[in-house]
Amino acid sequence: MADEKILLELCFGTTCFVMGASKLQEIESIIPPQYKNKVEVKAHTCLDLCKNSTYMKAPFVKLDGEIISEATVEKILKAIERKIDG
Amino acid sequence: MSEKSFFVDIDCFQQKKHGQNAFGDCFKSKRFTDEGRLLAVLSDGLGSGIKANILATMTATMILKFIEDGKDILKATEVIMNSLPVCQVRKISYSTFSAFECSDEGEIKIVEEGNPDFIHIRNGRLVEHTPRIVTSKKFTNRHMHLYNFKLEPEDRLIFCSDGVTQAGMGTDEYKLGWRREGLIEFVESEIKRDPSISSRHLAMEIVKESIRKEPDHQSKDDVSALVLYFRKPRKLLIFTGPPYRQDRDAEYSKIFDDFDGRKAIVGGTTANLIARELGREITTEKYNKGMLPACSHMDGVDLITEGILTLTKVLEYLNEGYDRWPDDAAGRLIELLLDSDVINFMIGSKLNQAHYDPDLPLELEIRKNVVKQLEKILSGRYIKKVNLKFI
Repeated sequence: MADEKILLELCFGTTCFVMGASKLQEIESIIPPQYKNKVEVKAHTCLDLCKNSTYMKAPFVKLDGEIISEATVEKILKAIERKIDG
Repeated sequence: MSEKSFFVDIDCFQQKKHGQNAFGDCFKSKRFTDEGRLLAVLSDGLGSGIKANILATMTATMILKFIEDGKDILKATEVIMNSLPVCQVRKISYSTFSAFECSDEGEIKIVEEGNPDFIHIRNGRLVEHTPRIVTSKKFTNRHMHLYNFKLEPEDRLIFCSDGVTQAGMGTDEYKLGWRREGLIEFVESEIKRDPSISSRHLAMEIVKESIRKEPDHQSKDDVSALVLYFRKPRKLLIFTGPPYRQDRDAEYSKIFDDFDGRKAIVGGTTANLIARELGREITTEKYNKGMLPACSHMDGVDLITEGILTLTKVLEYLNEGYDRWPDDAAGRLIELLLDSDVINFMIGSKLNQAHYDPDLPLELEIRKNVVKQLEKILSGRYIKKVNLKFI
């Protein structure tokens, strides 16, 4: 389990980008050192979530497949913490 | 356009005289896509700065307008030659010019008055032409040099203002300037170094090199180089936006994949659908450059960018006109656009509902409108052949 990383997926599609994803690209350097090696960050052209109204509001990220809407750096860091520390 | 036809790639690069805030040379051109012909004029106004700018612009605009309205190039330029006023101080004509009319088949008519003789390079070597000389009936010191011949594929013509040939004049190394001979030698070596060098790059290299001849690298005159390259068209296909009917995604993805030329995808959703249909992987760069989303990569595609923000930025940059394009997704797309002769847009008409969310902080333009404006500037100012297909 120790080697398995959790996957953080960012969406750089138009809607997410203008709604705040432009501020999420620095996330990799902001992740606290104790979690850094446990998270893999991947960018996407578009996660295709904005077209589906059931997912609330952009910007969207996925953390191990789980959708986080209206994502902010703080929200993502909290979710990472929860995921790793349980 | 038939597959066999060639493309007349022309571009002009200019530098102002050091310390001036206006160009004293003027380049104007117009492409008539339907008739398969192209007109271009390079005029050098007497002196420099605003005065020269007005003289050169007036001359170039008038010649272009005359020919455009159906007058023969010889008649049009003769009228101009006979009517250009004489400078009271220097007793010489107000402006000099080179004008040409070229067909897609390579038939070219050239008229030069006062500018350095053009240079014709074929198979890496200079081809000399003997002009027919027409002397002005009104001013006997004015002569037009006329040429009429047929270009062969891969031929290049170089026109310039005397700022190029006289560069470095008075220095120990170039007492009489760089001269036409120096320019010929440089052009031959540049073409040898890069046999497919575009007109844009060659014109830029010529101007930069001529300025290097000057002490302190400061241009003493307005410097312009105009290059014509008769070549097979470089084609680009840009797929932007998902097709209106989703059941045709596969069909359009295949058309895109089969395209014989360079390819770009402008739009995240579009990239995803093409990747899905062609069964390919996309990787996205993690860091954005400038204010735009990062570029992505896929096998067989030259460039993948985000959609509407990038297109809007491309339009903004083209309108501004930079010497060097910013290093972001829009700058990269512009490099691709300007290095192509024929640009095909496949514009998907499907709307992205999320873009109509009133909470979106930016004005998101409608793709169709932006592409239409792009078409206008690319075919107008940048002399490209642009085809739009709404799908």
